[in-house]
Amino acid sequence: MNTYNPIYALLIFFAISFFGYLLFRPRKGWFWLIKNNLKSNEKIVIEDVLKQLYHSENSGKEVNVNSLTSALKFGDSIVVDAIKKMAINDLVQFDGDVLKLTNSGRDYALRIVRVHRLWEKYLAEKTGYDKTQWHEMAESKEHELSHEETNLLATKLGNPMYDPHGDPIPTNTGKIADVTGEFLSSLAVNAVGKIVHIEDEPDVIYKQILAENIHIGSQIRVVENNKKRVVFYAEGEEFKLAPIVAANITVAVLEKDEVIEENIVRLSSLKENEVAHILGISKESRGDNRRRLLDLGFVKGTEISIDLVSPMKNPIAYLVKGASIALRKDQASKILIKKD
Amino acid sequence: MNKNAIDNIIALSSELRWKIGDDFHDGLAEGIYADASEIANASISTDNEKKRFRLDSKIDKIVTSKTWGFPIMFLILGMILWLTILGANYPSSMLASLLLDNIHPALKSFATTIGAPWWLDGFLIDGVYLAVAWVIAVMLPPMAIFFPMFTLLEDFGYLPRVAFNLDYMFKKSGAHGKQALTMSMGFGCNAAGVVATRIIDSPRERLIAIITNNFSLCNGRWPTQILIATIFIGAVVPASFSAFASLFAVIGIAVLGIFFMFFTSWALTKTVLKGEVSTFNLELPPYRPPRFWKTIYTSIIDRTLIVLWRAILFAAPAGAVIWLISNIYIGNESVATWTINSLDGFGFLLGMNGVILLAYIVAIPANEIVIPTILMLTVMATGIVGGVGTGVMFELDSVNATGDILRAGGWTLLTAVNLMLFSLLHNPCSTTIYTIYKETKSAKWTTVASVLPLIMGFVITFLVAQIWRLVF
Repeated sequence: MNTYNPIYALLIFFAISFFGYLLFRPRKGWFWLIKNNLKSNEKIVIEDVLKQLYHSENSGKEVNVNSLTSALKFGDSIVVDAIKKMAINDLVQFDGDVLKLTNSGRDYALRIVRVHRLWEKYLAEKTGYDKTQWHEMAESKEHELSHEETNLLATKLGNPMYDPHGDPIPTNTGKIADVTGEFLSSLAVNAVGKIVHIEDEPDVIYKQILAENIHIGSQIRVVENNKKRVVFYAEGEEFKLAPIVAANITVAVLEKDEVIEENIVRLSSLKENEVAHILGISKESRGDNRRRLLDLGFVKGTEISIDLVSPMKNPIAYLVKGASIALRKDQASKILIKKD
Repeated sequence: MNKNAIDNIIALSSELRWKIGDDFHDGLAEGIYADASEIANASISTDNEKKRFRLDSKIDKIVTSKTWGFPIMFLILGMILWLTILGANYPSSMLASLLLDNIHPALKSFATTIGAPWWLDGFLIDGVYLAVAWVIAVMLPPMAIFFPMFTLLEDFGYLPRVAFNLDYMFKKSGAHGKQALTMSMGFGCNAAGVVATRIIDSPRERLIAIITNNFSLCNGRWPTQILIATIFIGAVVPASFSAFASLFAVIGIAVLGIFFMFFTSWALTKTVLKGEVSTFNLELPPYRPPRFWKTIYTSIIDRTLIVLWRAILFAAPAGAVIWLISNIYIGNESVATWTINSLDGFGFLLGMNGVILLAYIVAIPANEIVIPTILMLTVMATGIVGGVGTGVMFELDSVNATGDILRAGGWTLLTAVNLMLFSLLHNPCSTTIYTIYKETKSAKWTTVASVLPLIMGFVITFLVAQIWRLVF
C-alpha cells in the first residue's frame, strides 16, 4: 500500500478531471452535445426555417434555398429535405427560386416568434439569467412549449406587448404591435428620441451595446453622426458608437410638441451633498428588483441624496424618505433623477 | 348572459389591455406610492432637526470610512472570536470534569450496583451519555459567549454597516454583503449561520450564503484545529515559536475557509445558481442602545439552546453507533476494525488514515466528538495501552500524551495538515444539514450543500498528499 508512485496517482486524477471537463464543460461538453443532438430533429429544422423566412420577409429581403442554407447552422441536405416537406405541407411556396411563406406558414412562424419573445420576457422578469443568455435559451425553448403552455405563460406574465429587447410579442390570435422608429445610425444631428428596441443579433454587436450600458427606454439626443461614429447623450452620459453598432438600436423620434423631460441623469452620477428628485426607474430594471425599489420608495418625485459612501465606493447609501438605503452602482444607474 | 356576450367582453378587455400598454402596472404602482406620500406629507409634521441624530452620522462616517472601516471591523470580530475561544476554555473544562470525570463514573458504578448487563450499560452510558455529555461540554460555553455578543452588535445596528463595507468584495463573487454576517455567525455555529441567512432577501444570494456557510470554521471544529496544530505544527519549529506557529496555522485554516467561501460563491453563481433571481438592497437602520437583558435572553434561548438541543438529538444516536461498531464483531474483528481496515487504503491516498475517515463518518452528527473518537479508535486499532475501554471515547488532559497516542497510530505532519484541511472541508454536521433542509425546503440544495464541501475536501487533501510525498 505504501509503495505506490504519487505521480501516477496525480496523473490518473488529472486524467479523470480532464475527461469530466470534456464531458460536462458548459455548452461544448460531450454530454450536452449528445443531449442536444437527441433533441435536434425535423421539427426544429422546419421551425427555424420558418422563423428565418419570417424575419427576412419582414425586413423585405428575398430568400432562396442557397441563402437559407448558409444562414442556418444545419447541414445543407437536412435543410433541403425540410423545405421539400414544408412545400408538401403547404407551409412555404416557390415563386421562381424565391421562397415565400404561405398564410399557414406565416401563422406557424408567428407562433414560434411568440414563444421566443415570451420566453425572453419570462427570463427577464422571473429569473436571474444574464441578458446575454436570454436569446440563446429562448432559441431552444421556442421548440418545446406547446400552444397551451404558451398561453399559460402569457397569462402569467400579464400578456406583455413587448419583449425585453423591445420587439413586439404576437398575441395568440396573431396580432402584433408595431414598432415605429428609425435606426440610431440614420438620425439627424440634434434629433431627440427614445430608444425602443435593441437588436440582440448578432451576438458580438449586442454584447458591445450591453457593455456600453445603454438602456432601453432612455431618452437620447444625437450630437454627432457621420461615417465614423454616432455620438449621443442619454441620461446625462455621453455615448460613442460605431455606425454599424448604432444601426442595431431603434429610436422613436419625439416631436417638438411632445413633453421632453430635460436634464435627466442617472442616480449613479449624483455626488455627495447634492440633492435630487427621482424621475423614475429605467425599463432595464425588471422583475423583483424593480418592485423592491418601488417598495422602498424610489418613486417619482421623491427627494434623494447621498447618506454614506462605502470604503470601496460601491455600494452607496442613499437617503430616501428618511431611511438610509444602500444600492449598488448598477442599480443606481437604472434610477433616473433630476438634480435640484 | 349567453356565452357569446361573455366572449365579447373578454375580447374587449384584452383589446383594451393591449391599448393601455406595458407601462400600465408601473404607472399604477407609482401613482399609488406618489399619492400615499402626498397624503403622508400633508398630515405628518416632522422636526427636521431631529430627523437624523447627529451622533448617528458621526459614528457612520467613522465605521464606514476608508481608513477606519476595515480595521474596526476586523478588530471587533477578532475580539469576539478571541473572547469566545479563550473564555469558553474554563467553563468547558468545568463542564467536562463534571459530566465526564464525575457523573460518568458515578453512572457506571450505579449500573454495576443494580446489575445492568454489560451491553446495556455500555450502550447507554459509554455510548449515548458520553456523546451527549461531550457535545454539551464542548458546544455550550462557546455558543453561550459568542451568540450574546454577536446579538448585541446586531441589536446596536453595527452589523448592517459591516455588510455595507464588505458588499463590494462579496458582489465580485456574486454574493450579498450580508453574507459577511452569516459567515461570521458560522464561526459560532454553522446551523445558526444557516438560520441567519434569512436576513438576505434575494433568493440566489441566500442560497449561496447557505451552501457556503460550512466553510466558516465552527465552534465544534476550533478545538480540533487548535489541538492538532499545537501537537504537530508547533513541534516542527523551535519551542519558543511553537505557540506562534500553531496559532498562525489555525488562523491560516480559517482564512483558507474564507477563501473557499468566496471561490465557491463565485463558482456557484457561474454554474448551478445562474438562473435564480438576484436582487440587492441593504437598509442601514439608525443606531440604538442594545436592549441588554432581552438580547441575552433571546440569544441564549433562541440561538444557543435550540441549536444545542438539535445537536444533542443527533449526538445521542451517534454515541450509540460508536459504541456498537466497536463492540459488535464480525468473525474475529469488530465492525470498527473492519471498517478502518477497508478505509485505510483510501485514507492513505488522502494523506490520512482509516481511523480519521471512520471518525468523520460517525461524527457527522457533531464535530465535537471527532477527537475523542479518533483517540478511542486509534487505541483500539493499534492495540497500544491507553484509553478506558472498547467503544468508550476519551480525551487526555495532557497534549503530549495525546500526541504520543496519535504518533503511535502512525501520524505524521502530513496526517496532521490534512486532518486540519479535512476538518475545514467536509460535509456539514447533521444539525446543519437538517437546518439547511428546513430553510431551503429542497432536497437538491441540501444535497449540494452536503456533498460539495466533501468532494472539495477529498480533492484538496489528495493533492496535498501527493505533492507532499513528491517533495519530501
